[in-house]
This record gives sequence, structure tokens and C-alpha cells, in this order.
Amino acid sequence: MNIKLVSGAALGLATMLVLSSCGSGGSGGGDDTQASGGGAVTLKMVAADYGDGPGKPNSGETFWKGVVDEFQAANPNIKVEVQVINWNDIDKQVATMIQNGQVPDILQTGDYSGFVADKLLYKVDEVLSPNVSGDMLQKFADFGKVDGAAYGIPFVSSARALFYNKDLFEKAGIAEPPKTWDELKAAAEKLKGAGVTQPFGLPLGQEEAQAESFLWMLGNGGGYKDASGKWSINSPQNVETFTYVKGLVDAGLTTPNPGTKDRKTVWEDFGAGKVGMVNGGPMSIPIFDAAGLKNYGVAPIPGKAGPLDTTLGVMDWIMAFNKNGHAAEIKKFFDFFYTGNAAQKISDTYKLLPVTNGGIEKLSSDEKLKPFLDALPNASFYPFQDPKWAEVNPAIKQTIGGAVKDDPAKVLGELQKTAEAAG
Amino acid sequence: MRRLRALEPLAWVGPAIVLIALVVLWPVIEMIRSSFLEISRLGVERGYTGFANYEKLFGEKDFADIMVRSVIWVVAVVVLTVLLSLALAQLFNQRFPLRKVARWALIAPWAASVLMTAIIFKWMLDPEVGVINQIRLKLGWIDAMGGAAADQLGDASTAMPWLVFVAVFVSVPFTTYALLAGLATIPADVYEAARMDGAGRLRTYWSITLPLLRPALTVAALINVMNVFNSFPIIWAMTHGQPGYSTATSTILMYILKGSDIGESAAMSVVNFGMVIVLTVIFLRVSRWNKEVT
Repeated sequence: MNIKLVSGAALGLATMLVLSSCGSGGSGGGDDTQASGGGAVTLKMVAADYGDGPGKPNSGETFWKGVVDEFQAANPNIKVEVQVINWNDIDKQVATMIQNGQVPDILQTGDYSGFVADKLLYKVDEVLSPNVSGDMLQKFADFGKVDGAAYGIPFVSSARALFYNKDLFEKAGIAEPPKTWDELKAAAEKLKGAGVTQPFGLPLGQEEAQAESFLWMLGNGGGYKDASGKWSINSPQNVETFTYVKGLVDAGLTTPNPGTKDRKTVWEDFGAGKVGMVNGGPMSIPIFDAAGLKNYGVAPIPGKAGPLDTTLGVMDWIMAFNKNGHAAEIKKFFDFFYTGNAAQKISDTYKLLPVTNGGIEKLSSDEKLKPFLDALPNASFYPFQDPKWAEVNPAIKQTIGGAVKDDPAKVLGELQKTAEAAG
Repeated sequence: MRRLRALEPLAWVGPAIVLIALVVLWPVIEMIRSSFLEISRLGVERGYTGFANYEKLFGEKDFADIMVRSVIWVVAVVVLTVLLSLALAQLFNQRFPLRKVARWALIAPWAASVLMTAIIFKWMLDPEVGVINQIRLKLGWIDAMGGAAADQLGDASTAMPWLVFVAVFVSVPFTTYALLAGLATIPADVYEAARMDGAGRLRTYWSITLPLLRPALTVAALINVMNVFNSFPIIWAMTHGQPGYSTATSTILMYILKGSDIGESAAMSVVNFGMVIVLTVIFLRVSRWNKEVT
């Protein structure tokens, strides 16, 4: 009897041990980051993967290994451990790290502003030399500030322009890409007449409806916020814009049911020669190439009265967390990164645009990237520094497609309400 | 010593209790606690907010529609699944050539990942190149590829039936096998007695097969109710709940809210949890599961 009891209890104990060890399995790696003064310091870095994932030649692991090896050769006392995480999971995984107190030293991802309120970040001037920060595009650097203090360092950027299929344009007898909304509609009608199923590719589905919508708003002097910084999603200009787009949709000149279509699908359709025109960025070029489309052109995005003098700019960020107190070492790494050829390598590998004046100069000879580089200094951005954006953005992704299907004023009005709601 | 011996059963069931407490009870408690918290989107807790998350959730414009749609979704999928499975189970209970092959084939939709199945159906329904639309074009049901007519997942009125179809498609194998097992337990002599009494086929099915099948039927349907209510991958992969929220169920809404407000999302989870319990209780009442067959 005794033996039974003991073995039963042992089994129970073993089960609990197994269970509890599952819970703490992830904590093993953090110990050596606390190395005390004098010896080598290990910087823990978390970065997003711009490549096609682990194992691929362009994977983030490969890229960062190259950077780190070079850095460590020059700074034998500093070790950098990079953990690369894909875009879908990086936000959730970083949130988990912070909840568990496993804060990295350096984070490279899509947003920095959420960390500022909880005082988790170093200010930029604590971790970046003045000559480096002085070379940043001023407009970009300004977006790294919250209440006048800079926390986010621009990492890479992208901009948007109009891609058009030259073969389809020729088939439809269109001489040059449209500059105004009227020309756009006329071109779309000609394309339709020539048998193109989607004259204008319009992805207003969940993946990136906020980008496509913003590009259209800019064409009519609108935007998510007005000049005074107040939400203006249902401004008269925006309602007019969506009424015009709805006209295109109703006439069958766009992707059908735009509110359910992701940009990836529409870009693939463009690559397959089913779409006449579509708004895209440097990052869509590899998709078009993969689909085998060669003969396409890039032009400024048409606006109501003339081509846009601005475009949507999207920036990714790098930032330094203050928990482990490695400001001096982080500064060395950041300076190394921006003054060396690493930033250039990112642009070459991933078709992402640089954020420094020097970097833009170096790339300006690339024919395909030129329209985007020209647009960068005057780009417009999402109001992502407003904490409300975190709530408005998902609502836009989910529902703004309704503005080209139902009543534009009503759909935009609901979004405006979401933006203005307290809390 | 005697006291220790009294504790012995605990040593045997202990691990199971610990396991249940850790993987079932604790998450439930944590979920309910979260629904009363304000949580930043980076996971930093900012204190209790009372019922604010619930008020915000119930104030969502689309909330009522989504809850009604969730119930319709569950009822439609489960009823269709059970009816189809009853017929299929009956068929597979007969002897016919290649029955083994047919039974194996039925497992395929069950063995395949639900997400994979949903994505494959989305591709087949693609307005530009999808094979289902190619067939519809050949049959003359649509005039051309690529237009709104070929885009059935783009509008709720045509997307919903497809979502239900896929959900039934992946639920039928399990349900059929559960019912098949139930059919195998019905003794042959009961049927013999019925035949002696002169009962016809319909009468036999209604008065003998169905009542004796009830335990299997109840379990199969109940598991389906819970599965379908919590079903996420089919709708997410095929429509994201779009256009707007017009194909979203409450599980989809919970996931969407997770991106903007974790507290409100937790409140939605608690409501979902309550809904599953309510649906289960109603179902058990209706099916009078614990009454003896008379």
C-alpha cells in the first residue's frame, strides 16, 4: 500500500514539475545580458524579418549576422544577440517579453510610440551621435518625437506611386498614365472596353485598407486629420472622394467588392496582367517580378485636379530600451549601423528606402526606385502618434470598404465617431 | 497511516486535477479578470475599470447583428451537418462493394487542416482564376470571370452560404463516424422483432433506429454546437468577417478587438463563454439527454 501511495505521489509531483518547467522554459537566455561592468556586454536585440523567412537567402537572420559579425570584429567587448521574428508575431511576442520583464536592449519594428507612455525607451540623443541624427530626413526624424522629445529612430521607409501595365494601356489606346480623376476614369473605361476585368485595382480589404483610402483622400486635399490635428475622417472632401470612388466601383471599373480584397491579392492580379492600374510601392516590385510582369510603368498618383505632390510614406523604427542600462554600447552599435553600409544593404536586398539624406543620394541612380525616392521628402504619414490610431486603424481596415458600397457619409461618420470617442 | 490511506485516491486523481486546474480553470479565471482590466496594447496592465469594457462592447454598432448571426450560423451548420450525417451513416452501415474505400475517403476532410481546407475553397472561389468560377462560366451561369458576379465571397448574401457549406464539409466526417458507431451498437434482434411485428422501413427507422441512436446523436450534435460556435479559421481565412462585419461571428469580433483593445476582447470572450454554456443547456433540455429511452 505504501509503495502505491509513494509512487502515486511521485507521479503527481513529476507531473507538476513537468508542467511548471513548461512555463519557465523561455527564460533561459536572459541571464548573461546582465553582465556586470568591466567584462563583455551582451546586447539583446529583437528585429522584424523583411525577407522571405528563415532559411531563405534574404532572411533577417542572414542579414543581421553579417552586420553583427562586422560590428563585433570592431568592438570585441560588445556582443550582440539578434532574435529575428516575423511581422505577424513580433508585436505579440514583444508584448509578452515586456510583460515578463525580459525587455530587449534594442527593438526594430513598425512602431515605437506605444512604448513611450510607459517610459521604457531611451531618448534618441542618449543612444545616437549628433552627426548621425543630423543626416536623417528632417520630416522622418520629426515623426520620431512624442511631445517634443525624440524616442524613435527611423530605420527604413517606403512610399507609394501608381503602377500601370504598359501592354494593357497600349491595347486600350491610352497614351500616358492619368494625372487627374477624370483622366483616370476615362482610362479605366477604355481598359474595360479592351476587356480588362479590373481596370483599377482597389484593395480596400482588411490587409491595408488604411493605405489605399489615405492615398485617395490625399488626392482631394483630405486625410485622417485636418491641418489643426483634429480627426476629420468624415470631412466634406473625404465624403466627396469616396463618392467618386463609389462611382468607379458601381461602373465596374475596379476590383469587384473592394471592401473584401487584400492588397497582396490585387498586386498578384496586377502581376498576372488582370489589372490595368494599381497603387503600389517598392515592395510590390518583387511580387510583379515573380508573377512575370515586365512591361509596367510607375507614375505619380492621380488626384482630383492633378497628380499628388505628396504620397503615403510608411516608416519602420529602431529603438533602445532603458531597462538594462546599456546606453553607451547601444550608441556604438547604432552609430556603426548608420555610418556603415548596412542601411544600403537593406535597400538593395529588400527594396526598402533609406531614411538618411546620404542614403537617398546613393540610391538615386536606380531607375525603378527614383519616383519613390523623389516622393519621400514630401510624404504624408498616418497619424500613428495619436494613441487613438491604434483603435481607429483596425476599424478602418474592417469597415471603410463599406464607403464605396453603401452611403459614404454614413460609413465615414461611424469611423469619425470611433476616433472621437473618449478613452 | 489510515489517514494517509484515505488520501490515496487523491494521489491518483491529483495529476488530473492539477492539469485541469492549470489548463482549464486558470485561463477561465484569467479571462474573466482581464475583462475588467484596462490593458495597453503592449500588454501593460493599467488597473481595474469595472464594467467599462462590457459597456463599450455592447455599445458597438454591429454587436447585436453579430450575436444573432452567430446563433444562426451555429443552428444552420449543426442542423445541416446532422441531417447529412444521419443519411451518410445509414449508407455506410450498408454492405456495398468498396465500402472500406468510401469510409476511408470520408476521413479526408476531417484529417486535413481546417485552415487549409478554407484557403483551398477561397482559391477555388477566386473571381479571376478560381476553378468553381471556371465551371460556372462553362455552364453559362456567369458571363465573365473577374466581375462582381464571379466574386461570391465579396458579398454577405453569397458568402454566408459558402461559409456554411465549408463548415458542414469539415464537420460531417466526425459526425458521421460518431453516428456510425452508434448504429453498430443497435442489436440486430430488435430489428428482427420489429420485422415480426410487421413494421415498415420508415416506421422501423423512426421508432427503433432514431431512439436507440439518441445517445450518439446527442453527443455528436453537442460537440458540433461547441465546435461551430468557436469556429474561427473558416470565416477568417475566407472573408475576415468582411465586407464590414457582415460575415463576422462573435469569435471573429473577439479576434478583431484583440488588435485594438485587449480588455474589450476579453469581455467578448466572456460573453462567448456564457453563450456556449447557454446554448449547451438549451440543447440538452431540448434533447432530454438524461431521460431513459422508453
